Amino acid sequence: MSSIQAAVRQAPVWVPPLVVLVVMLVVIESLRPGSLAMSRLAIEASEAMTLILIATGQTIVVLRGGIDLSLGGTLSLATAIAATRADVSFGELLPWLFVIIALGALIGALNGALVSALQLQPFVVTLATWSIVSGFALIILPINKASVPAAWFEAGNAKVLGFLPVPILLLFLLLLWWAWFRRTRLAYRIRAAGSDERGAFLNRVSLTRTNVVSYGLAGCLAAGGGFFFSTQTGSGSPVVGSQFILPSIAAVVIGGTNLAGGRGGVTGTVIGALILNLIGDLIFLIGLSSYWQQVASGIILIGVVLLAPLLRMASEPSGGDG
Amino acid sequence: MRDSPLLQAESITKRFGGIVALQDMHFAAAAGEVHAILGENGAGKSTFIGILAGALRADEGHIVLRGEPYAPHSPVDAAAAGIATVLQELSLIPDLTVAENLWFGSEERTRLRTVDRRRIEARTRALFAGLGLPAIDPGALLRSLGVGQRQLVEIAKALSGDADILILDEATSALVPGQVDWLLRAARTRADAGKLVLYISHRLAEVRRVADRVAVLRNGETVGTQATASLTDDQIVSMMLGRRLVSLYPERVATATQTVALSVTGLTVAPRLRDVDLELHEGEILGVAGLEGHGQRELFLGLFGAIRAQGQVSVRGQRVTIRSPRHAMSAGIGMALLPEDRRHQGLLLTKSVRENLVLSALGRVARLGVINPRAEAAIVTQAIERTRIKTDTPEQPAGTLSGGNQQKVVLAKLLATGARLLLFYDPTRGVDVGTKAELFALMRELAASGYAILFYSTDLAELANVADRTIVLSYGSVSTVLAGADITEDRILAATMAGGSGAERGSAA
Repeated sequence: MSSIQAAVRQAPVWVPPLVVLVVMLVVIESLRPGSLAMSRLAIEASEAMTLILIATGQTIVVLRGGIDLSLGGTLSLATAIAATRADVSFGELLPWLFVIIALGALIGALNGALVSALQLQPFVVTLATWSIVSGFALIILPINKASVPAAWFEAGNAKVLGFLPVPILLLFLLLLWWAWFRRTRLAYRIRAAGSDERGAFLNRVSLTRTNVVSYGLAGCLAAGGGFFFSTQTGSGSPVVGSQFILPSIAAVVIGGTNLAGGRGGVTGTVIGALILNLIGDLIFLIGLSSYWQQVASGIILIGVVLLAPLLRMASEPSGGDG
Repeated sequence: MRDSPLLQAESITKRFGGIVALQDMHFAAAAGEVHAILGENGAGKSTFIGILAGALRADEGHIVLRGEPYAPHSPVDAAAAGIATVLQELSLIPDLTVAENLWFGSEERTRLRTVDRRRIEARTRALFAGLGLPAIDPGALLRSLGVGQRQLVEIAKALSGDADILILDEATSALVPGQVDWLLRAARTRADAGKLVLYISHRLAEVRRVADRVAVLRNGETVGTQATASLTDDQIVSMMLGRRLVSLYPERVATATQTVALSVTGLTVAPRLRDVDLELHEGEILGVAGLEGHGQRELFLGLFGAIRAQGQVSVRGQRVTIRSPRHAMSAGIGMALLPEDRRHQGLLLTKSVRENLVLSALGRVARLGVINPRAEAAIVTQAIERTRIKTDTPEQPAGTLSGGNQQKVVLAKLLATGARLLLFYDPTRGVDVGTKAELFALMRELAASGYAILFYSTDLAELANVADRTIVLSYGSVSTVLAGADITEDRILAATMAGGSGAERGSAA
């Protein structure tokens, strides 16, 4: 086997989507020079960040072998809470952020506990909790759109140290966190349980604990995503989260994470979320109606998913796997 | 001969539903020996190992370990008691690397509390070197390894701890001869260091090379425990088989005709099967023997069009190229495969026997798309009688039948397709003796009415007693063809291992 083939085989799952992302950026830059400037990238990052956060949570649940539809509800609930705190000052921001994220963790942990205790499919459990949590979001904020405190909007659009936009900083911190987290024992246990539950059990992994922790983390990230969304748009909505559920799964899949669990990671998901967001730009620049965005998203989804095994097949020596 | 046994089992009984797997079973083994446990499939070996490993619990009896009562509730208890097991069902995680799997739960960590890959990989290299194992890349994902290498990793994992008792259950099934030698040496070294090694294998030659003593199980009981050197192979085999029920095997009536049903020339499925020729006549049962992984699977799946194969295949004198299982089952070819794994045979476990039986014959019971209940009932009754499916009513869910009866439902379905060329791939795996006898009788009847049957079995006695002729596969090629009275277990066994020592064609690991 040549070293190129070996390199392709050993390459992380996020390489094929990265190739697609780079191609898209090059095309966009050629259609609209200046698109790669920091200020433009900051806008892209801020547009993609909500999806990135919720999809990161989705990734962790998928690695555990599950799926979490309720993340959309958690996201809505977070923006709804934000939008009902009109009088909160800049100084009270952090405590509220903490409350919202803790609530997300609680909802997630409940999901994980239910999946384990009821021995039901995660799809069914989180479909139910999605409905429940979305209901609470509507009870808290019964109107479709409401403003969040001005201080929050300012915080989300500030520049750290005068030059670094908040979304870019967040993205950087997220990737740094993942670089650490993926190597922890906890992450190994989550992946082991998602890869082969019985094998993990034989290796003394607590299936319940990994469920609670992975859904809990996902809940935190979705709540954080909701909080971020409200700081960026200056508004909250009790239904906005639903439009993020399927894209969050699409970002996970485009990023190379295996929906069956065990394989993949957040790096790919971030790339996947960026790709999904850039499709809108690309459609606009080509001059197509924005309705084509959905069509293009679907084609890219299938294309990227097919690209990975094709690359692997091309790099494998002929002959069966026995 | 040894004063106090390290491990002693007394009056162990274990039932699965109505089937008794272990019956008042006794066992004792001492530290410092390699103790083989032999027995036919279904003799109770796996059940006993499962109890020792904490995967099963005995219904009656007790086990004494180091003079203390031992009753594990889980694999964790067994590990804590110093018992390491290499089971046939591997416990490794496909999406972790070799090193991550080996040290799962006891990984060294960096100051940032992350798993220290460099150190666990170094520890892995040291372990492999210490064990004298060929280097396997510690950073390779487990799913990227072949079955043999995975098994080596599993064995290395069991050897990495300092367990007092090491259980090797068919641990050599996926290994090539050089690796088998390595494992036998490792087992010996362990025993010499004062540990106990329990060695379960179908391969008498290995047992003879490594085991100090042999315990033979039959029908869930220990028939005897003796020093290996004091027994001949024949004696061991007769202990394993006991006095057979004459009725287990039907009378071997030669019904083979001159008509060639299936003719194969130069069938090759890379990398496991090379250049196989065979001829199967109508009315004949042609046996196929071979150790695990010597090409029998490829032969069956290749013939059936489930995997790509090269070579010439003729069915009833017509050259055919079988493109897919669907094509193989079509009227022109009329082939049917009965695989060993019932879960993947298209049996709908929650549906009734009736529904399962008519599903593949809907065209024959329906008129204008509506099922004619009378035609359906006739077909179902006929199929149940013909294959002697033991079911209370045709409405019983297929999943509630015993394994053997599920097998018969599948067989009945296959016969309903009109196939005349039947490929039986280890059909008796996990099937009780009574059902086996019925299955063999049915095979004989089918042969007598002109069906051609290719029959692979891991149980050599079945080949010796059921097949008209038997081809023996060794390293992917036919090493011998035995016919009539020449088909004995000894000869088959000798032929399966032919070429094993030469290893000039050792399959790629």
